[in-house]
Amino acid sequence: MSQVEKKAGLLRRTSSSKKPLKEKVVLMYDEIFAKEDPAKNNPRFWDELFLMKVNLEYLESKLESVDGEEVQRIQDNINSLFHHCVQTLAEEHQIKVVNALQTLCALFRGVHQKNKSASGFDIINMLMGFDKAEQRMKDLMERLDSLLCGDSSESLKSLCLKLLLCLVTVTDNISQNTILEYVMINSIFEAILQILSDVSSRGQHGYDAVVLLALLVNYRKYESVNPYIVKLSIVDDEPTLDGMGMVVHQALTEYNRQYKDKEEENQGGFFSTLTSMVGSMFIADADEKLSVQTNEAILLALYEAVHLNRNFITVLAQSHPEINIPATPITPTPTTPTTPLGTTPPSLDMMNNPELPLDPNLQTSNLLITFLKYASIVMQDTKDEHRLNSARLCLIILTCIAEDQYADAFLHDDNMNFRVNLHRMPMRHRKKAVDKNIPSRPLVCAVLDLMVEFVVTHMMKDFPMDLYLRCVQIIHKLLCYQKKCRIRLHYTWRELWSALINLLKFLLSNETTLLAKHNIFHLALLVVNLFNMFITYGDTFLPTSNSYDELYYEIVRMHQVFDNLYCMVLRVSTNTGQWKEAASKVTHALVNVRAIINHFNPKIESYAAVNHISQLSEEQVLEVVRSNYDTLTLKLQDGLDQFERYSEQPKEAAFFKELVRSISLNVRKNVSLNTLSQDVLLKEFSTIS
Amino acid sequence: MADAQVSVSPVLPPLHISPSHSAPAPPPASSSSPTTFSCPSSPSSASSSSSSSSSSCCSESSSDCPTHHPCHHRHHHHHHHHPRPQLQLPPPPPHSEQPSSPSASPRSSSPSGSIGSTGSLCSSSASEGIGSGMSSGGDPRGPSPPLDVISEDAMEMDLGADQVIDPEVALKACQEVLLKVKLLDNKHQQDSQQQLGVDMTERCGPQWNSHPDAGSIKEEDEEEEGEGRKDGKRLQQDPLPTTRLEASSPSSSSKQSWLLRLFESKLFDVSMAISYLYKSKEPGVQAYIGNRLFSFPDSEVDFYLPQLLNMYVHMDTEVGDAIRPYLIHRCRGSITFSLLSAWLLGAYSSDMHISTQRHSRGTKLRKLILSNELQPPSPLSSPSHRRSHRRHNSSNVEVGPAPDSPVPGEGEVFVSPSRRTHQRSKSDATMASSGPGACLKRTGSNPKVEAVHEEPERLRPQREFVKSLLCIGKRLATLPTKEQKTQRLISELSLLNHKLPARVWLPTAEHQHHVCRVPHTQAVVLNSKDKAPYIIYVEVLECDSFETSPVPSRIPETRIRTARSAENLDCSAVANANTAGSMTSEHRAGSFSTVPNYDNDDEAWATDDIGQLQVEAEAQTSSSDNISQFSVDSITSLESKEPVFIAAGDIRRRLSENLAHTPTTFRRDPEDPSAVALKEPWEEKVRRIREASPYGHLPNWRLLSVIVKCGDDLRQELLAYQVLRQLQSIWQQERVPLWIKPYKILVMSSDSGMIEPVLNAVSLHQVRKQSQLSLLDYFLQEHGSFTTEAFLTAQRNFVQSCAGYSLICYLLQVKDRHNGNILLDSEGHIIHIDFGFILSSSPRNLGFETSAFKLTSEFVDVMGGLDGDMFIYYKMLMLQGLIAARKHMEKVLQIVEIMQQGSHLPCFHGSSTIRSLKERFHMSLTEEQLQLLVEQLVDGSMRSITTKLYDSFQYVTNGIM
Repeated sequence: MSQVEKKAGLLRRTSSSKKPLKEKVVLMYDEIFAKEDPAKNNPRFWDELFLMKVNLEYLESKLESVDGEEVQRIQDNINSLFHHCVQTLAEEHQIKVVNALQTLCALFRGVHQKNKSASGFDIINMLMGFDKAEQRMKDLMERLDSLLCGDSSESLKSLCLKLLLCLVTVTDNISQNTILEYVMINSIFEAILQILSDVSSRGQHGYDAVVLLALLVNYRKYESVNPYIVKLSIVDDEPTLDGMGMVVHQALTEYNRQYKDKEEENQGGFFSTLTSMVGSMFIADADEKLSVQTNEAILLALYEAVHLNRNFITVLAQSHPEINIPATPITPTPTTPTTPLGTTPPSLDMMNNPELPLDPNLQTSNLLITFLKYASIVMQDTKDEHRLNSARLCLIILTCIAEDQYADAFLHDDNMNFRVNLHRMPMRHRKKAVDKNIPSRPLVCAVLDLMVEFVVTHMMKDFPMDLYLRCVQIIHKLLCYQKKCRIRLHYTWRELWSALINLLKFLLSNETTLLAKHNIFHLALLVVNLFNMFITYGDTFLPTSNSYDELYYEIVRMHQVFDNLYCMVLRVSTNTGQWKEAASKVTHALVNVRAIINHFNPKIESYAAVNHISQLSEEQVLEVVRSNYDTLTLKLQDGLDQFERYSEQPKEAAFFKELVRSISLNVRKNVSLNTLSQDVLLKEFSTIS
Repeated sequence: MADAQVSVSPVLPPLHISPSHSAPAPPPASSSSPTTFSCPSSPSSASSSSSSSSSSCCSESSSDCPTHHPCHHRHHHHHHHHPRPQLQLPPPPPHSEQPSSPSASPRSSSPSGSIGSTGSLCSSSASEGIGSGMSSGGDPRGPSPPLDVISEDAMEMDLGADQVIDPEVALKACQEVLLKVKLLDNKHQQDSQQQLGVDMTERCGPQWNSHPDAGSIKEEDEEEEGEGRKDGKRLQQDPLPTTRLEASSPSSSSKQSWLLRLFESKLFDVSMAISYLYKSKEPGVQAYIGNRLFSFPDSEVDFYLPQLLNMYVHMDTEVGDAIRPYLIHRCRGSITFSLLSAWLLGAYSSDMHISTQRHSRGTKLRKLILSNELQPPSPLSSPSHRRSHRRHNSSNVEVGPAPDSPVPGEGEVFVSPSRRTHQRSKSDATMASSGPGACLKRTGSNPKVEAVHEEPERLRPQREFVKSLLCIGKRLATLPTKEQKTQRLISELSLLNHKLPARVWLPTAEHQHHVCRVPHTQAVVLNSKDKAPYIIYVEVLECDSFETSPVPSRIPETRIRTARSAENLDCSAVANANTAGSMTSEHRAGSFSTVPNYDNDDEAWATDDIGQLQVEAEAQTSSSDNISQFSVDSITSLESKEPVFIAAGDIRRRLSENLAHTPTTFRRDPEDPSAVALKEPWEEKVRRIREASPYGHLPNWRLLSVIVKCGDDLRQELLAYQVLRQLQSIWQQERVPLWIKPYKILVMSSDSGMIEPVLNAVSLHQVRKQSQLSLLDYFLQEHGSFTTEAFLTAQRNFVQSCAGYSLICYLLQVKDRHNGNILLDSEGHIIHIDFGFILSSSPRNLGFETSAFKLTSEFVDVMGGLDGDMFIYYKMLMLQGLIAARKHMEKVLQIVEIMQQGSHLPCFHGSSTIRSLKERFHMSLTEEQLQLLVEQLVDGSMRSITTKLYDSFQYVTNGIM
């Protein structure tokens, strides 16, 4: 207690009253921005400076207002300030460290705001001076690293991460942030991993660490060698990977929970709907967008982990009870001295309390399930740009997953059954599905459900062609795996077939509008080839012989669609035009479907005629199908079970560039919003030091 | 065996205290000493009896090392037996080694001496002589065999009482003695093997059994005189019992000599030993048998462990004292034995009233075992060392290690007061350095507990493992649906996986191994109304010795992927690239984790790494899949090539054929998740799991499975298992082709345990529900039509197993025979499970099933109908089986009878359990009458409507078909 008083007294003495205090800092800042070396008259200038509360606004605005010539004049002093900030980081006096961190933040931000047009070199020169930049940044990164890895206070660590986030996001385009070159050379990757592997630090800093990592990985991804990519791709430490998974899992779970709450709220009667609608115009909407945006960063992190690190795939299937607790509250749980860093047992947070929570209603979950739920929410509405990006990223992640053999193995594991409650959009023509009755099935069923759901719900004028392509490709990849491994999944394939046929129908009926923007033939080709997979390789992966009959039944039943499609592609392919070739591919792909239709239709008609039945029942049609297989010959098509593997470059590069930019903006905004309020920190340190 | 006996006898007379000899001593000996010796833990008796000897020890100890108090008890015991021998055969003569030997034991025990209470009571002067003898002779050579052993045993006894003894010292001493003796024995053997047709088959026994040598025998005698049953290892010789018997009841000497002859004969097996231990009221006999136990192979005694422990818990102190040294010895030698004993002791003590239970000997012994005091004296050094120790502890194989162990041993023995802590730290160090220590830390289920005890306990990993399995079961029981239970089970097990591999093992397994992984997704919850028994599959790595072999290191789950992908790739070039890639990545990973300095790392990521990575990022990853690497436009290629045509009919036909050819599997049923898992052929399952396991490539990889039961008392199951095993071996011995499948039971407490699952077997209920066929039709479906070899084999198996279990059911009065409790394996055998209602108990005590056993018309149909040959064969088998069983009735009865002691199990309800069981063997009937009996039983069961009634009753109440 006496400590605290002393501290308070000390602060008061240096600042005697409130006003002079402010002025004192400001005065000192002014001194820095003067030409003279501030330490010249006052050798203890720097010591004193870091004892005082940082005035961020003033410092930043001061930096902003410096113009070209002045820069030259005050560069030495700024360099000196930077240098002293870095040096102070090594001090034991925590308040000084805090102030130094914040000053650095202000420096980075101020310099960049001012010099929007200035080159990276100018900025580096202004902050550190060319000749010393390398050493300065090395020192800085080393100090940050030791702060992050050491047993310093949690708030301090948090501040370090904020500073790093701040540094990483000062430019809109992360690749233009030249200072990051030094962050590449002086990697803090290991510090980030350590945070993620330790249970308690993960709880408090995991989110920031994961976002920081995701951003760093995207620095000049395509142009140069990024050590973070290299390192991330080979991490094989299970606790660390689990930790990363947990952070993502928690963030996504939190989002799902919020969404569900809101949904329930909205269903709470007319009045509340009205008010929430009104309210959402102003607050909720913004709020919602914000939450989606923040999750993009997390989603990017998930993508990078899945895409770069083959070991991460196992984390997806790591099952643990669903966490319904709001994600890690900010209340910093003090690090217990009993668990020194690195000695806690591997694996999940759950393991700290050996008794898992015992709620019978608690569903067992894993990262993949949470992700699928999240995707089902995000995909519902793709009009908003952020949501569109999120949906696209979700599908990209699913693509990566569907290509991974290990992931496929557990997706299809018959012993891992789950009920996955996907969110379904309420639509006019269908009732909201009764969630309760979803059977417990292998996870791949949920993926397929999600794809079917997407196919069914996005046939709109503003056609998300890109998403559709990804979606159909994911289905294709899963089928290829099933065919290869002879996995007979008990899935209601019929739903998929009819969804795909409806999609073809939609493409046909909106041919003209769609053709203006998209190559619909490519999509049509993929869809028809899915049918070809079933037709030619159905024997390897269909669950029952009946399901093969049903496939024919469905094709024959909807023959009109295929007929029309054939007419359309034939027409386009015979004309000369940009779609000629694309369309002709579809005509060839339709060979077997047309053979089936042409073979069975007459048989069915004659059956009806012979038996004097106007409307054949399904059973009767199936009977006809069954008895007439032998006279039908199909053409074996090549390459049905082959697909183009996902690659980020060059196709997706632009997307990721934009995505990272939007994430950067967002992170920058959030960092500035909630970090640097000093009161909390001071309070904490007054008790600690 | 007669010759052995004969050969021995000539030697004996002089050495043995003949009746006349013993007569002088006996008065005290027979009346008080036996009892006193036998219960060292009870201070009163001990003190009174030991009074004669202990004064000496006091004096000696005080002079020797006054600072030590811990184990005075053993001291006085120790002396105790000395004085007596002296009375009879004063100086422990012939062997020059002998005199020296005693010295060691006093030394070792001396620390204990100083505490007065009991020790001070001793008053024999004779002991002093010995004491001096020891001190004079002993130092250079170390302890002599007999005394050492004695002292050790004594110490142990004391330990039980007040736990102040350092067991390590004791054991060390014991081992040295053993070595000596072995050496000695070897000599004898060389000397006198010709004349003695001694059977050397017994593991540790030979030396002792075949006392060909006068000297050793003499020693035995001395000890025996003094301390009879305490000196475990030693006294398995006959002399002891003889003397005892003669001493205590001279009148019936003829009977005793007969007994003696029996004991010495080759026919005297564990079963008889147990039987005599139980029945004999003679302390001498009991003590003799207690010692004799050492001479039987461990595995044979292990079978009777429940009986031994139940006797220990519930019978009078003499029996307990007779067994105790053996138990302690075995506990020292083996973690497995320690834990099994501790679990059983806990379970068998549970029937006692809580207040008595707390102070009962069973509870105390359990505490002792769990206290880690019985750690073997391995601290010496490396595991290999320990192994050698153990080996010569338990077997006579080696003489070799002798020279090296005594030396360090001596060191240990004579260390100063600080020895104990010293020792412990030493052992810690060795543990840590040899690997196990490191693994231990990861092992326990409860990290908190773990954190508290830093010291590695040898029993803890396994206990934690078992505890966490049982806890899972308890938690599962609270969940409402099977599906939720299974899901939870899977996630709980995946957490458990993080702590594996560890020094844990499945007690049901045959071979030594370490558990390395639990393929958690394979686990499944079994059918049970309100409990949550579950079956887990466990991947283990076999090893030489579970206790000393290093625990395998953890392989990350994902590691399998590289291996697998390398195998699968069809394009060799890609494969090369791939393996190269994976190797470097592993290499990188290694450097990554070990080199914290990232500057170095940066260098390690030389440009080629990065180049490779970018290749990966660019177009085709060299990924694991062999799903085609290339993007081929399916149509373009078609145009260029000759079209290939296929018939749709073929595709359809292949589909249905493929489906038909897959072995009949069961549908997934959320209400019965285990059906599918159990139906999958074991081989298939092993292959599948092995493929998916990161450890699967290791040659010593094995898959095991176990059922974990929580909330069920498995003691009856264990009893049934023993009876089944006994009958099985009887039938084997008598060459009756009855087939039964006893499955192993592990009792862990009175309401938990583990069961060894019957492989490739599903319940008749599941068969019926899934297949919707009659049993016969199911046989036809699974094995082929009537005339096929497969069907006939399956049918024969069915008949032989039916006959076996019919007899079992009749003899044991197994009730609750619904179709959920009868399994059918893939070879056609039926297997009865769930022996919750046997002997005197039946479900709800309704006396519902009155038939002797379950024989439904479905069964008879499979056997080919009432008139079929197979049905006649069935009845004939039963008759043969009954005759054979009758012949060895005692062996069966004995198992049950001993377990009845102090038991409150429902199967022992009422007073007539044993009598009724005996009656069911129908000793008095002629074979013709027996045949009639079998006919009647079969007839009765066939006609019995109660079976049918019971089935429908079960269907109505539990939904079991």
